Amino acid sequence: MSDEGSGHITEFIQGEKEPESSYVVIMIGVVSMLSFLVLYGVLYPGRDMPVVSELLPMFEGVFDSGIWFFLLGAMLGFFAIFATMMAEATSE
Amino acid sequence: MNEIIPTLAIFWLLMITSFILIKRGLSIFNDVAKSMGMFMLEKALGPAIDFVKGEPGSASKTWILHGMIWAMVASIFTFEGLWLSHDPTALHSLGSWGYSPDSQDLIYAGRFAALFGAVGMMVIGAGLHVIPSLSGTKLASESNATLVSLLWTFSVLVLVIGAHSKEIFGINIILVGTALQTLAMMAIILNQLLTISNATRPMAMPGWLIIFGLIGDPAAVLSVLLSGAYETGVGHWLVYHMIGGTFFFCGIAGISLYASSMGSGNPLWSRTLVGVTLFGAIIAINPMGETDMSMAVDMLGLEASEMATSSQDHIYGSFLMALAVIPIIAFSSNLLVTLRGDGAFVGNGDSPGIAEMNMGAWMLIPIAIGSLFVQTDALGGAGELSGIAQSLDLLAVWAVLIPLSLGASLYVLPQASGRKVMSSNRSRAAFWLMSGGAVAGLTFTIMADLNDMALAEALTENSSSITDELRALGSVVFYGTVLGSIFHCTNAISGQFRGERLGDELQSSTTLSPQTYELTSSTSVRKILASGATLDTEIMPVTQSDEAGSVTEL
Repeated sequence: MSDEGSGHITEFIQGEKEPESSYVVIMIGVVSMLSFLVLYGVLYPGRDMPVVSELLPMFEGVFDSGIWFFLLGAMLGFFAIFATMMAEATSE
Repeated sequence: MNEIIPTLAIFWLLMITSFILIKRGLSIFNDVAKSMGMFMLEKALGPAIDFVKGEPGSASKTWILHGMIWAMVASIFTFEGLWLSHDPTALHSLGSWGYSPDSQDLIYAGRFAALFGAVGMMVIGAGLHVIPSLSGTKLASESNATLVSLLWTFSVLVLVIGAHSKEIFGINIILVGTALQTLAMMAIILNQLLTISNATRPMAMPGWLIIFGLIGDPAAVLSVLLSGAYETGVGHWLVYHMIGGTFFFCGIAGISLYASSMGSGNPLWSRTLVGVTLFGAIIAINPMGETDMSMAVDMLGLEASEMATSSQDHIYGSFLMALAVIPIIAFSSNLLVTLRGDGAFVGNGDSPGIAEMNMGAWMLIPIAIGSLFVQTDALGGAGELSGIAQSLDLLAVWAVLIPLSLGASLYVLPQASGRKVMSSNRSRAAFWLMSGGAVAGLTFTIMADLNDMALAEALTENSSSITDELRALGSVVFYGTVLGSIFHCTNAISGQFRGERLGDELQSSTTLSPQTYELTSSTSVRKILASGATLDTEIMPVTQSDEAGSVTEL
């Protein structure tokens, strides 16, 4: 392989398009959360989750149908449209 | 007593009179009427008109974006309605807030949002671009049309609330919504008539479809009131189908024929078939729609009556509904052949709405024929097929009316605003989700309806578990329509801010994919493609002389 060719290759694998920092932080947060959940299950098997196990009974009788999973998605979509309008209108 | 023919005769007379007045004007009153019309559209509104911008294309853009948001709202209501049909207590927890709708309330609200919010607003919005474009002039009042979109949206909101509770504090909510909508409709009709009065060239046929679609709505109501048929079930059935055949069918046909030709780059296939579509839609009774006339009854504030058809009404009604298949086939075939062009292209990938229009045109004929059987059965009083009427009506809305109006709007929106949708890929994904969800979801629901009808005929006491399973499956699959409509909304809204400008297309020409190819002598297609030209490259013939050259004189 010529020198010119190898130069192109090193340029090619530099990785210039970094993901945005916000996405990196969010992904680290999600992975950490899942890791701690697994760790809690290993260390304290059979015990309820702190805080979460106290909050969930509050929603008993409210979100007791599968339709709420779908409506949650629709609500997210609705707020995504609203956020898009706000963000696009106020950005430069 | 025969009610169909006298009512239709008045309707035909009103439409012919409207056409003559539009073509010939009001003689010496022309200038006065135009000045008065413009005054009512702008100055008479006082400071309210200053709330909106009157930039070219702003009215069309506003109406279409409102329509897309209503499509999303309609899909959510319809999804909830389908879900509650197999799980009636799914939303009982909302009862603590005073909101406990049942399946029928939600589907009724979804129909208002879909027909008058989504389809109605997209048809009017696209029409506000198409009519000036075909007339070679500007819209008479962009400011008024933009402002009126807010009034129409408010009227749809009132209708959706009224679908849940018809009376609030003793006020008939649906009638209030109808009054607001009539006001907005009158402003739009006046605006469009003033626009075509300033036409610099004869308007092409699709423009007339839109105009007659707009005029057909008040003309249908007026003809039923004048004939006295508004007190009978047949009159309610007739006005519902006359509005469906004019405002919805003609309006959608007009904008989609225009968008199919302009979007695909192919000339409109047949002008005669457009004429057949227009003439047939006015003469015949469009069979698509529900057998339950409560929407027409509620909107006009009438007393519901049983459908008691005379034998004459049954014969005339059935014949005129069968006749409607002619304009439907004419429109569908014209649209499909225009999209297909001369066989070189099936669709233009650059126009996101093409796929929607293609699907709507394909679904139109089978659904119209299915509706013809259901409506003929209902008109005869048998009601044997009424079990599938609601689901078939939903299928007509979500697989024909919304795809056609949305497809045309997706072409018109960039033309009106100057920016494309954000991503063609997201638009394609939204199309598959919306169309797949609607067709598959509602087909499962129709299967459940047929199952229920069979069980009812067999006088079975307990309902079958398979019916509930099919309804559950249908509602879950229909959720794709909700997702698709959300994707369409975010894609269109983002595109208005960051989408590619239409004017930038020419600047993107490179040596690898040239926008134009100069043809100096005869050559083969292979050589043109080999030079880097793509399917969208424009071939420009360049004239040259065979005369021998000579020395340039200094």
